[in-house]
Amino acid sequence: MAIQRVQPADGDQPDRWEAQLRKGALEMAALASLWQGRLYGLEIIRFLESHSQLALAEGTIYPILNRLKAEGLLTSEWVEAEAGHPRKYYSLTEAGRQRLKQMAEAWTNFSGGLSRLLEPVIDRKENHQ
Amino acid sequence: MTAETQIDSYLTALRTHLGPLTISEREEIVREINAHIRDSAEEPGASVESVLARLGPAEELAAQYREGFLIRQASRSNSPIVLLRGALRLATKGVFGTLIFFLGLFGYMMGGGLFLTGILKVIFPANTGMWFKDGSFVFCGSSITPPGPPAYEVLGMWCIPLALFAGSLILVLTTAAIRASLRASQSWQSKL
Repeated sequence: MAIQRVQPADGDQPDRWEAQLRKGALEMAALASLWQGRLYGLEIIRFLESHSQLALAEGTIYPILNRLKAEGLLTSEWVEAEAGHPRKYYSLTEAGRQRLKQMAEAWTNFSGGLSRLLEPVIDRKENHQ
Repeated sequence: MTAETQIDSYLTALRTHLGPLTISEREEIVREINAHIRDSAEEPGASVESVLARLGPAEELAAQYREGFLIRQASRSNSPIVLLRGALRLATKGVFGTLIFFLGLFGYMMGGGLFLTGILKVIFPANTGMWFKDGSFVFCGSSITPPGPPAYEVLGMWCIPLALFAGSLILVLTTAAIRASLRASQSWQSKL
């Protein structure tokens, strides 16, 4: 699991740690946005913005979609639109649905455990303020 | 600069930096980013400038696409050069990759060396083979000065099929091992 590679090794690099954490979560979020049906890139970005606090540089989502497709988790099709140019719609493959289910389960267990672990840390911080 | 020339120069820069990808993959990416720019520029309050700023520099966007491409491409290849290049890219990511790279290099050298020995036996039969002395191993391979008596050669012409077979087997196993490692490294990346 990549979580093991997300190491907050250097005390002076919390930004890098957070960036890696976000990047890992973003793949799952991109898959999750397609659970209900096909979307094109900009729709995925707007969906993630409105359904989560994942503020993302818009450029980062496209290479991730490209990689998920290369891994067979997504398929894509070009659809003609009124805008005058076609749009590339993505949808989950069966492998993608399975992977997303596994990810969702692992994520829920993992974050539930961590939240309990972090409860005292966050409480103390609030008491100090 | 007008909006059109801004879009054009962004897409040209993107295309340039996507160099290592195949043409069809590259053109599909450019087409998708083009659609993104035009769609989001039409949103209320947006402009081509703000859209391009949010996308980030074309060079960085291309770098994110290239990341992993070499490894992905290598994991489907049979060419030692492409596979070793993929393993070398993996080596920049950690100890596991470095290990795979050197094991791969070792495997290709062993396999290639054995294969060569099989061919050399045909050309220099007296200089190639496996020598024993008093029941223990002395030398195997091909040499300008092969061991003389009391050392004796044990394989004879069996050396040819044995060396060719063992050499091919090691080459095939090395190829399969590198490909499997490259694929495994990809699936780690995509998990959480």
